[in-house]
Amino acid sequence: MQEPIEETQEGLTVTVCVANDQGLHARPAARLAQEAQKFGAELFLAMDGMEVDAKSILDILSLAAAKGTRLTLRGVGADARHALEHLSALFRNRFREE
Amino acid sequence: MAREILQGIAVSAGVSIGKAFFTNRRRRSVSFEIIPPGAADSEVARLEQAASDVRDDLARARDNVPAELRDHAAIINSHMMICQDPKLIRAASQRIRDHHICAEWALDQAVEAIAAAFSAIEDPYIRERVQDVRAVAERIQTRLVGRHAEPMRPPDERIVLMAHDLTPADAMGLPTVKIMSFATAEGGKTSHTGILARSLQIPAVVGVSALEESVADGDLVIVDALRGLILVDPDEAELADYTDLKYQFENYQKSIRRQSTLPAETLDGYRIDVQANIELVEEVPQVLDGGGDGVGLYRTEYAFLNRRTSPTEEELYDEYSQLAGLLSPRRVVFRTLDVGADKMLSEQSQLEEPNPALGLRAIRFCLRHQDVFRRQLRAILRASAHGSASLLFPMISGLHELRQAKHILNEVRAELDAAGLPYDPDMPVGIMVELPSAVLISEALAQEVDFFSIGTNDLIQYSLGIDRGNKHVSYLYQPLHPAIVRSIKYVVDSAHRMGISVCVCGEVASDPYCLPILLGMQIDAISIAPQAIPGIKHILRRTNMEECKELLRDVLSASTVSTINRMVKETIYNRFPEELTFFSSMLDQDD
Repeated sequence: MQEPIEETQEGLTVTVCVANDQGLHARPAARLAQEAQKFGAELFLAMDGMEVDAKSILDILSLAAAKGTRLTLRGVGADARHALEHLSALFRNRFREE
Repeated sequence: MAREILQGIAVSAGVSIGKAFFTNRRRRSVSFEIIPPGAADSEVARLEQAASDVRDDLARARDNVPAELRDHAAIINSHMMICQDPKLIRAASQRIRDHHICAEWALDQAVEAIAAAFSAIEDPYIRERVQDVRAVAERIQTRLVGRHAEPMRPPDERIVLMAHDLTPADAMGLPTVKIMSFATAEGGKTSHTGILARSLQIPAVVGVSALEESVADGDLVIVDALRGLILVDPDEAELADYTDLKYQFENYQKSIRRQSTLPAETLDGYRIDVQANIELVEEVPQVLDGGGDGVGLYRTEYAFLNRRTSPTEEELYDEYSQLAGLLSPRRVVFRTLDVGADKMLSEQSQLEEPNPALGLRAIRFCLRHQDVFRRQLRAILRASAHGSASLLFPMISGLHELRQAKHILNEVRAELDAAGLPYDPDMPVGIMVELPSAVLISEALAQEVDFFSIGTNDLIQYSLGIDRGNKHVSYLYQPLHPAIVRSIKYVVDSAHRMGISVCVCGEVASDPYCLPILLGMQIDAISIAPQAIPGIKHILRRTNMEECKELLRDVLSASTVSTINRMVKETIYNRFPEELTFFSSMLDQDD
């Protein structure tokens, strides 16, 4: 049940859902930022009209996204599609370490 | 005499003698300097270098985390991410360029900006992550000032680890086998250092405010984590005494461990159950290893904290049934949600209560938010099919509340019947007696429940009208106040007249001076912290019921708390003069 990646004027976007029990707390937020930093594209995470830098653990934490929250990932740059695929897979796998 | 004797708070019992080794000290105050024009680039580079060094330090610490502390390693990972977060370093760099201020000042401002933004976040867990930002910034500041420029040297011998404050990364950067004990200047009874020390089973003293001024690296120190003392540069006599004490304590620990699975029975054959108060499934092995007769109080709040939405019935059922299964055939008592006051649920934190301790908490909260309550009751009932479960309602103030709660329970039972889901139809239902009103009507309450659990911590606060956390009145927190002793006695007698059992949970039950008085009342069970079980069982097995009854008679005839405390201390101390050096008592504070 992967959401499709859509092309918009502001770049590529994909909808993700927070599936882990405690929401985006320190451990998943650290992992998300860590993975996002591996890409050259600019990556953003939006919730309720508030958009933050997906490469910043502090920004991600500041969303205080609880379990069940739907968020929009947005990427701008050459490897944006690859980045969005990779990060949305993290959400689906509840940020478990491979 | 030692050169100095410093007072702190013992958070993990034991004694150790060794050389002091500091991992960190308090940094000097931040320097506030304006940098010359054109120096911004080199100042930014200095900041980035410091951040990158700290990141490397943390990576090394993470890679060396021993297997038994793997859970703590995640904290280091998030610290590494904070360290390279654009919001921190890039924001500070921008401040250097915009305001021509030095890196230390800019970093300080960036941290305060983050702290201000986080303080507006509703979720208390996220709000508290500011502590992590500060801890990381502190490390970068230390690097900037240029101290500890060399990587933390691993000691070549076993040491007493000292620190201003011990972060998990600090503690884990060192091989744990080399750490004999901890001492820190910061920290209180519930700090992370204490948890860490107890899980490693090494002595620890925190909150030793004069630690950094008085102790140098390499000083010989004695850490007395029984009384919360640090002896700096002890003399021969002190060394001899403490070597002896250390030996005795270690032997004592071994002997109580060996005997912990024996029944909790007095010399003259009076047997009670010694159960544990826990809040995590992970604590079960400690309960069983220590010889606990099950769990007398399972605090169910943990699953509800730090999240915006309540857990689902399935999540709760998974947790509860796992617990019941692990403990079976021993019993586990599920206390329904006791939120309010100190532990706010986010749904509830929107309530502006001027006096939350007397507000909408525990059973009152559940009766107001019945969706949450019903979901929890369904999960507990379903878990009862997997072991020996009991249900406990907290903060009952009168019969009406109890009947309402039981009415909802019956409705939930009918739902489960209709859905064909199994549960134990005979699951015992009890109440916490922790309000003075419940004490006075305990006989009426006893006719409608299967057991009582006396919550002494709250009962003392509500009966004596004092907030224990308020240092101006905490001296009035008197567990053996005549009103408290009589209240407990009254509840026990009411329960026994009605043929139901009574458990005492709360610190009183694990206090070696208070326990004999409870025994004298012929209580049926106590429920205490898991780590206290072996020691308390050991004391109990050498107690004589007739003497307890006699002591209770004397206590009941006394009219002031000071008379009672003196009488109890003399009697009990004479009974176990050696063993009691290994215990701290709630009665000690009024000396």
